[in-house]
Amino acid sequence: MATPDQKSPSVLLQRLCCRILGRSEADVAQQFQFAVRVIGSNFAPTVERDEFLVAEKIKKELIRQRREADAALFSELHRKLHTQGVLKNTWSILYLLLNLSEDPRKQASKVTSYASLFAQALPRDAHSTPYYYARPQTLPLNYQDRSTQAQSSGSLGSSGISSIGMCGLSGPTPVQPFLPGQSHQAPGVGDGLRQQLGPRLAWSLTTNQPSSQTPTSKGFPNALSRNMTRSRREGDPSGTLEVTEAALVRDILYVFQGIDGKYIKMSNPENCYKVEEKANINKPLRDMSVRLAELGWLHNKIRKYADQRSLDRSFGLVGQSFCAALHQELKEYYRLLSVLHSQLQLEDDQGVNLGLESSLTLRRLLVWTYDPKIRLKTLAALVDYCQGRKGGELASAVHAYTKTGDPYMKSLVQHILSLVSHPVLSFLYRWIYDGELEDTYHEFFVASDPTVKTDRLWHDKYTLRKSMIPSFITMDQSRKVLLIGKSINFLHQVCHDQTPTTKMIAGTKTAESPREAEDLFTDLENTFQGKIDAAYFETSKYLLDVLNKKYSLLEHMQAMRRYLLLGQGDFIRHLMDLLKPELVRPATTLYQHNLTGILETAVRATNAQFDSPEILRRLDVRLLEVSPGDTGWDVFSLDYHVDGPIATVFTRECMSHYLRVFNFLWRAKRMEYILTDIRKGHMCNAKLLRNMPEFSGVLHQCHILASEMVHFIHQMQYYITFEVLECSWDELWNRVQQAQDLDHIIAAHEAFLDTITSRCLLDSDSRVLLNQLRAVFDQIIELQNAQDAMYRAALEELQWRLQFEEKKKQREIEGQWGVTAAEEEEENRRIREFQDSIPKMCSQLRILTHFYQGVVQQFLVLLTTSSDESLRFLSFRLDFNEHYKAREPRLRVSLGSRGRRSTHT
Amino acid sequence: MCKPWLSLYKIQLELRGLLWAFRVRQSVLLEISRILNTGLDMETLSICVRLCEQGINPEALSSVIKELRKGTEALKAAENTS
Repeated sequence: MATPDQKSPSVLLQRLCCRILGRSEADVAQQFQFAVRVIGSNFAPTVERDEFLVAEKIKKELIRQRREADAALFSELHRKLHTQGVLKNTWSILYLLLNLSEDPRKQASKVTSYASLFAQALPRDAHSTPYYYARPQTLPLNYQDRSTQAQSSGSLGSSGISSIGMCGLSGPTPVQPFLPGQSHQAPGVGDGLRQQLGPRLAWSLTTNQPSSQTPTSKGFPNALSRNMTRSRREGDPSGTLEVTEAALVRDILYVFQGIDGKYIKMSNPENCYKVEEKANINKPLRDMSVRLAELGWLHNKIRKYADQRSLDRSFGLVGQSFCAALHQELKEYYRLLSVLHSQLQLEDDQGVNLGLESSLTLRRLLVWTYDPKIRLKTLAALVDYCQGRKGGELASAVHAYTKTGDPYMKSLVQHILSLVSHPVLSFLYRWIYDGELEDTYHEFFVASDPTVKTDRLWHDKYTLRKSMIPSFITMDQSRKVLLIGKSINFLHQVCHDQTPTTKMIAGTKTAESPREAEDLFTDLENTFQGKIDAAYFETSKYLLDVLNKKYSLLEHMQAMRRYLLLGQGDFIRHLMDLLKPELVRPATTLYQHNLTGILETAVRATNAQFDSPEILRRLDVRLLEVSPGDTGWDVFSLDYHVDGPIATVFTRECMSHYLRVFNFLWRAKRMEYILTDIRKGHMCNAKLLRNMPEFSGVLHQCHILASEMVHFIHQMQYYITFEVLECSWDELWNRVQQAQDLDHIIAAHEAFLDTITSRCLLDSDSRVLLNQLRAVFDQIIELQNAQDAMYRAALEELQWRLQFEEKKKQREIEGQWGVTAAEEEEENRRIREFQDSIPKMCSQLRILTHFYQGVVQQFLVLLTTSSDESLRFLSFRLDFNEHYKAREPRLRVSLGSRGRRSTHT
Repeated sequence: MCKPWLSLYKIQLELRGLLWAFRVRQSVLLEISRILNTGLDMETLSICVRLCEQGINPEALSSVIKELRKGTEALKAAENTS
């Protein structure tokens, strides 16, 4: 490695001497001294520095020598030199060459007189030049040293002078020594410095020998002594050497790679690069070095992150691709550095021979590293922001950085984003086209729960990991993606449908290259959205087709409606007819198989027999838990078995809802049934009991009460059947027909069940209302019982009377007395008893009526203050002729204010 | 490959350009020196060029060189005669 000072003028001069004289360094000392002296003393040129003048002179000389062709050639060359512009001092060179030129016509004249110069100088110089000889580079002949001297006012500058000072040259010097003070008055840098240096050098050469000098002014000895002391103070020749730009360039090239240089080192507590304070580096170079060192700092940061993350095993694919992208960028950066290094190497090896000026200056490096610096800054910022993130989160972080107006930075970050998002997209495509999820590091936004079994696959197995959704994928898209994969898995595992996806989806499968990812980002909205939509549409359609055709989902839904929600009227009625004698018995005496048999009879006898056997197979009887005192009516229920894929829609909770609703509807139906029976009884017995006028009052009251109840139940049934069931069912059916995927169907179904549950007063808010309704139902049963008893008594009475009449007639026919006195007495007594019991019955009925009406009024009050509109309107219908309003002051308040009241009245 | 690293190529081009320019300069100067019959060889010329570029007075330098040459010849003559 060449020393940085090899190109200093003094060294060059020494080499020149060697070269011309053809001897090694040791032998040219004397000549070297002479050369230094001459140059040092004749610093300012005496001719004007005009390049063209010199060129003209040369041409004239050539023409004078009758070499016109050469003159022309020279002009050509001179022009070339001029256009190249690599020479700073063209004049200087040309003048030199002109001076050295020899007329080939002249003979070389040998002048021996000059040799005496050497001879004279020999003896003394030979002893006094150890420093001189040993350290020619310390001579302040080159420009840098000059500049240092200009700035270090008052000091002697480099140690070179001081060292010379210790061993000065003797011999005649043609130049007067000037005061240092005078030398500082020179203006400007260029010429002024040269003028300064000359006298200064000359003076310094004679510092140690003041006696041999002729003092030109009074201040001279003082200045001299002053400077002598100064020179002694700064006598240390080793430390204060100025650091050249070339040395700094070398250092900087190491710093670029993150290695500490000789002068520029990383300061760990402050986390920055610092130039050594002690080193003798001038301010502009120092500043430039520090600016350049930033590049090394950025490089370190990025390298540290990339290396650390490469070791982390759980970092995941996205993170690894990010590190790979960073490594790629760093590789390009290293290429730049290698170019610079090779240039440096070239100059070291050949530069001296070619006379090359160093092409690597700090300023050039600043310009060349401007773009790389921006690049590294962006990468470092990315690294900072992405600390601690992985997976989709990391992709989101990188995506956030693409939102910049700077096109350079944007293209860089977009390139990195395409690399980073490639794993995410490949996960995504795999998921939506194959339903497969191989995500060892939990980077994808779809999470699979392995503990969930097949029956809960649709609901619980796959969820969205919200933190991992990249910011370039919207929530809507991610939900669709989840749905598509879920559908495919559902088809494969639950529906046992192994149709490959390529048949399902007509679209092409994406290639797996980062190129695709990059293209994707240029047109994110359309292409990506289009792909997802196509996949979603096709997969969901296929799934629904399979569910409907293979598993008859919609048919089962309708079957539920018909059986559990009492849609198949004739079947329900017939069933009730058949079950009536069974269900009046206590619950503990009922056997399932008996009831099942009755169910099957009912099925066969009605239109239900035309349903598909698949549906009928699932229909069954279910006996609820028995509490003491229950009759059959309390424990009976129908059931519908679901399994396989349709159990996804008809989940356990749904089925329990269905059963509750069935219970309610069954009870209401039973009330209807009872009242029908009562009515039937009325019809049948009215004729019979016409002959008992005393009974008619009771009968009449019975009829009135029964009518009231019938009206009530009718309105309730209407409400339930039409406003609750039919409307909700219609809505459900529409939604299901229009549904695009299974989630829609499930949602619509659940909404349906919620609506009918709340409208049938089965939810927790309507508990009070429901209890009231139950009370009404209980009253109806009471009436039924009371009526039964009354009829029995009346009919028994009637029977007795008829028998009496029969007997009377019989006897008359036989010719006897129709009736004996005792029998008549008996008869009358009985009739009287009967007639006495009538008021009791009447009062019983009255109590019943009163109670019933009270309950109904209560019910109406609750209805009018409910939050559901249709219930409020139900109260209108129930009280259409304001029969109850007359009796209940609370009902007289207008509906408007009633409606606004809260439900806790 | 990546467009932004084009600066790398620019740098290389620039360096090559500099190199070429120097070579041109070198050849041109050599040619001029030959025309003017200065008797300088390549290496000496390059040293002189560098010295001049660094601001050394060409007058002084030329006188030095002349002196050295004369000295050489004198010494050679002395050697030859001895």
